[in-house]
Amino acid sequence: MTAIISVENLSISYRVPGGNLRALRDVSLSVARGEVLGIMGESGCGKSTLAAAMINLLPTGARISAGAVRLAGTDMLRLSPEDQRRLRGRSVAMVFQDPMTAFNPVLTIGRQLADFAGAHDPARAAPAALAAMLGRVGIPDPQRCLDRYPHELSGGMRQRVAIAAALLMQPDVLIADEPTTALDVTMEAQIIHLLRDLRSSFDGAIVIVTHHLGVIAELCDRVAVMYAGQVVEEGPVDSLFHDPRHPYTRALLACDPAVVDPASGRLPAIGGRIPDLTALPEGCAFAPRCGMAQPACASPVPRHHPGPGRSVLCHGAGP
Amino acid sequence: MKTVLDLRDVSVDLPLGGFLSRARLPILLDVSLGIAAGESVALVGESGSGKTTLARAVMGLQPISRGTMSLDDQPLSTAADFTRMRRQAAMMFQDATASLSPRLTVGYLITEPFRIHGQPLADPETTARDLLAMVGLPPAIAGRYPHELSGGQARRIGVARALALKPRLLIADEPTAGLDVSVQAEVLNLLSDLRRDMGLAYLIITHNLALVRHVADRVVVLYLGRVVEQGPTAQVFAKPAHPYTASLIAAEPKPDPRQRRADLAIRGEVPSVLRRPSGCEFHARCPLARDLCRRVAPALASTGPGRMARCHFAVTTQQEQGEEHAVEN
Ligand SMILES: Nc1ncnc2c1ncn2[C@@H]1O[C@H](COP(=O)(O)OP(=O)(O)O)[C@@H](O)[C@H]1O
Ligand SMILES: Nc1ncnc2c1ncn2[C@@H]1O[C@H](COP(=O)(O)OP(=O)(O)O)[C@@H](O)[C@H]1O
Ligand code: SF4
Ligand SMILES: [Mg+2]
Ligand SMILES: [Mg+2]
Repeated sequence: MTAIISVENLSISYRVPGGNLRALRDVSLSVARGEVLGIMGESGCGKSTLAAAMINLLPTGARISAGAVRLAGTDMLRLSPEDQRRLRGRSVAMVFQDPMTAFNPVLTIGRQLADFAGAHDPARAAPAALAAMLGRVGIPDPQRCLDRYPHELSGGMRQRVAIAAALLMQPDVLIADEPTTALDVTMEAQIIHLLRDLRSSFDGAIVIVTHHLGVIAELCDRVAVMYAGQVVEEGPVDSLFHDPRHPYTRALLACDPAVVDPASGRLPAIGGRIPDLTALPEGCAFAPRCGMAQPACASPVPRHHPGPGRSVLCHGAGP
Repeated sequence: MKTVLDLRDVSVDLPLGGFLSRARLPILLDVSLGIAAGESVALVGESGSGKTTLARAVMGLQPISRGTMSLDDQPLSTAADFTRMRRQAAMMFQDATASLSPRLTVGYLITEPFRIHGQPLADPETTARDLLAMVGLPPAIAGRYPHELSGGQARRIGVARALALKPRLLIADEPTAGLDVSVQAEVLNLLSDLRRDMGLAYLIITHNLALVRHVADRVVVLYLGRVVEQGPTAQVFAKPAHPYTASLIAAEPKPDPRQRRADLAIRGEVPSVLRRPSGCEFHARCPLARDLCRRVAPALASTGPGRMARCHFAVTTQQEQGEEHAVEN
């Protein structure tokens, strides 16, 4: 399968008072048309920075020290005016955790959707087309919804409208950063269902960023596990969940309360916290929290490929 | 077992607004709930079901319109009652870091409950160190400010503050919301250790069912301000009596790609308290609803030992057990 979007050896840092915060280190990933990629890991591991880089919406303090993000072969992070013309019509759209941030509170939903849709093609901004899209994402009474203001909708409905807004841009890639984190489990299940329906009708790629393992398992074809700015493990969702190779992936999967038998009385925790990203060690960044750490883990970590489509960044994962 | 917290038919309603209007909007309706010494009870339900309102009512932060409440057989109704009760019951709010004043050190913050309750401390530093040790934090943390803490540390400080006055009951509103699973485990283990060591009783408010399974002896399910099911946690999860509880359990995404669900367990949202449905208030979302449900409101009734549900077609446990025996025989 050919990649529709690919991240190549991307390193990004933020200038902070303590120095240089290395949010992403040599990250490489790709997603094919029709595929759903999940990105998981604890907060602070660089998931949102990666998502922002994929849509070329990095915060002003971010510095790209190496690498590229290619959409249909073109480096999005260093677009020349000529490339911009060539790329017109192709796009990446994003859905955020809190859809309120994506909407203007004083404009109606209809007006804002028209702006999203009309930016590419005025015909798509017709009220009937907008209402049809709202219907597609499961908004009851879409016509009435067009006249409403964002604060008049519940969190779940706002998230649906945000997904509709993203789809109106007819993107090649849809990126959702923690799309269900602020929702109840019932609404989360409905959004998962919606995204799953969309993937069969939507011809692009979907990238879901979440720290909720259940969401990954329900939706994704492939998963990348991030730790301290690196992809420490990647693979097809089934083999990664059932045969995790990186000790961090194993620990994350093991401490989900949904998989632990309540009779055991205690939940496994991952002691410690993610390292200071301004002073990273030369060796494995997970070593201080890792139950399998060996003296070798203090030296630079090789990437192993234990199976088809799989990769693991760990000294212990070698043959 | 001795009852610590006892709520009988507690109702809360709020003024509907409008200058001359005396109309009131019911938020909680006839909630009865008992928590025994050392027991852990979880209150679950979607957002807007009234969980936080109930916690605020117990703490005296929200007046109730009907019903009675007591803590250790002492009534809770006057302002003096609540002042006294706040030494025996503590509340941990939803966002622990936001509720910590950013300009005060951790050491000051965790000894603040003593000052609030007018209890002078001979040696605040030792008290702070003891409290930090109780929640598993090193003494050096006392000199830090809230923004310098990790999510798990901030939650621990929230627990230490809540437990400073050695209460008998801890009410925790979404104690792990927003935490990574790795840190969530740390906070839950702390709560279970403290319960074992101090005989604390808990009222844990959450919409995270995986958490309920781990921390609660009993679970109470609220829907639109009414108790729709309650019972021992393991039994409720194994055989929910109410279709709403069954839907909540089924809605939880399983962290296993081999257990993907084909269907949606539950559609729609909790209706607005301004437009309560007729009959059973769950009927519009209920997979079992029949005509009776649209017309007649079901009562909360026993469905088995220690279990109650508010549904015309509730699954009763005696019957099920009978069937199981029949199979065994
Ligand atoms: N605009 C910013 N300026 C400085 N540091 C940032 C900024 N955005 C994120 N960071 C830091 O970069 C790291 C990765 O953050 P983020 O990409 O948001 O991770 P995640 O989404 O996995 O929680 C964190 O240490 C975070 O504090
Ligand atoms: N101060 C208030 N004024 C008006 N309505 C309120 C107020 N507080 C809560 N409510 C309403 O009461 C209901 C229950 O809210 P809450 O107790 O916060 O539920 P939960 O904690 O279960 O999400 C909701 O419908 C909410 O909108
Ligand atoms: S009474 Fe009827 S509508 Fe209500 S929960 Fe039971 S079956 Fe469903
Ligand atoms: Mg993020
Ligand atoms: Mg609440």
